[in-house]
Amino acid sequence: MNTSGPNPPGKPQVRPLNCPGCGAALTLRSLSQAVTVVCDHCHSILDAQDPRLTILQRFKAAVDEDPPLIPLGTRGKIRGTDYEVVGFERRTIHVEGIPYSWHEYVLFNPYKGFRYLTEYNGHWNDTSILRSLPTVNDDVSPATVTYLGETYKHFQTANAATSFVLGEFPWQVRVGESSDVSDYVSPPRVISSERTGKEVTWSMGEYISGRDIWKSFGLPGNPPERVGVYENQPFPLSADTTKIWLACVGFLVVLVLMFIAFESFAGKDRVIEDAYYVFDSSARGDASFVTDVFQLKGHTSDLQVTTQADVNNNWIYLNYALINQDTGQAYDFGREVSYYQGYDEDGSWSEGSRSDTVAIPSVPPGNYYFRIEPESDLGRGTIRYWLSAKRDVPQASFFGIALLALLLPAGLITWRSMNFEHLRWAESDYGGSASDDDNSNDTNPPISLFGKENKS
Amino acid sequence: MIKNLYILYGIIVLGTLGMAEYRGWSLDSVDELKNVPRSVRDNPGSYRSVYGYYHHYTGGK
Repeated sequence: MNTSGPNPPGKPQVRPLNCPGCGAALTLRSLSQAVTVVCDHCHSILDAQDPRLTILQRFKAAVDEDPPLIPLGTRGKIRGTDYEVVGFERRTIHVEGIPYSWHEYVLFNPYKGFRYLTEYNGHWNDTSILRSLPTVNDDVSPATVTYLGETYKHFQTANAATSFVLGEFPWQVRVGESSDVSDYVSPPRVISSERTGKEVTWSMGEYISGRDIWKSFGLPGNPPERVGVYENQPFPLSADTTKIWLACVGFLVVLVLMFIAFESFAGKDRVIEDAYYVFDSSARGDASFVTDVFQLKGHTSDLQVTTQADVNNNWIYLNYALINQDTGQAYDFGREVSYYQGYDEDGSWSEGSRSDTVAIPSVPPGNYYFRIEPESDLGRGTIRYWLSAKRDVPQASFFGIALLALLLPAGLITWRSMNFEHLRWAESDYGGSASDDDNSNDTNPPISLFGKENKS
Repeated sequence: MIKNLYILYGIIVLGTLGMAEYRGWSLDSVDELKNVPRSVRDNPGSYRSVYGYYHHYTGGK
């Protein structure tokens, strides 16, 4: 065995060996740091620390049973450091009799040692062994662990068995060996504890996109599509949510200030004030008439027209035309004022209103008059009505629309974030009922664990 | 990225609001007509409103 020390990443050294089980050539990429190595021809697990490569275990598997997505020997850069893929294993849990498996890749750098990539349904994590112990708090539910000032919530615990291995491992790997694995999440990180007997190993994973891995390792094609929401998958807009709400609050403050400003400084000039008219519904002939000419000053703005009528179980309809005396431009509109009331077995009731208001948009300054043509049912007697008109009146409806428009995106992102968290926790030990209700989660892992044994 | 888009969106919303209020926009439906003859002032009956012959609700429970 080559024990001459670490080699620079740019010059990989491999050690040619032969499997004692089948005689096939073996390659040791992680040098003396491999504890076990697996023959990919006869699936013998060999003791890499023994010069005779003693066979520790043989397991049955088809040669191409579970080919790794990243082939052994592939080199790539993780967090600025070159690593080579030296080992691959599949681990499986059973939930209600259904097996669920994920993949773990062993990466090696002669200076940095080992780290790991895990993959389930297109979700990847970059994982390494913790150098110090986190603090566990079992007194709360869900339990938490604290590490470097960050708190992680317990997500799930399950018994995971190794079901397939390939390549080299820095521990005594065995197919069929199982351990209890607990995951604690604080997206995008997860801390896992892996208990085998009395030994507990802690590791930390950080969510990483498959696209980044493909780029780092120069892999052809595209990574597998992500399915479902993973336990430590960060909400894509999590960093923006708080900032968007802060911006939203800022906009709402501006909105309130604008409302105050427009209410305070709008002209609200009364150009007609309670002009009184009487309509005799019994009279025949043309009822139309025109008002006196009035002047609209200032910039182009709205004209708010209010009609009040003393109708009672009656209606009056007014064909209005606001006509510019100088240009002949007219704004034609009709308004109905109707009011009905009575008593029945439910008590008193009423419908309609004796008042109506309309805002004529964007009326340029000039000299105007109204042409008014009242209508009602014949023989209803006289109906009195009053006309008022105010120039440059702020429209509260626009402020309401702006309020909704500003809140909508922020609310939508928050709703999506909450839905994302719901999907995440539906697959945890604490989300059984939610999972049952949501069929969309059927494709998600019932548990998505990764923990690294550190038995070397 | 999303935050910047939202800020741009918010500025557009508030800018449009300011424009709407200053220019006196309204959600009410009004028909604009041009070149109404001056004779309407002397003979109001010669004008024909587009809202004439409206079907009126007569109310009642």
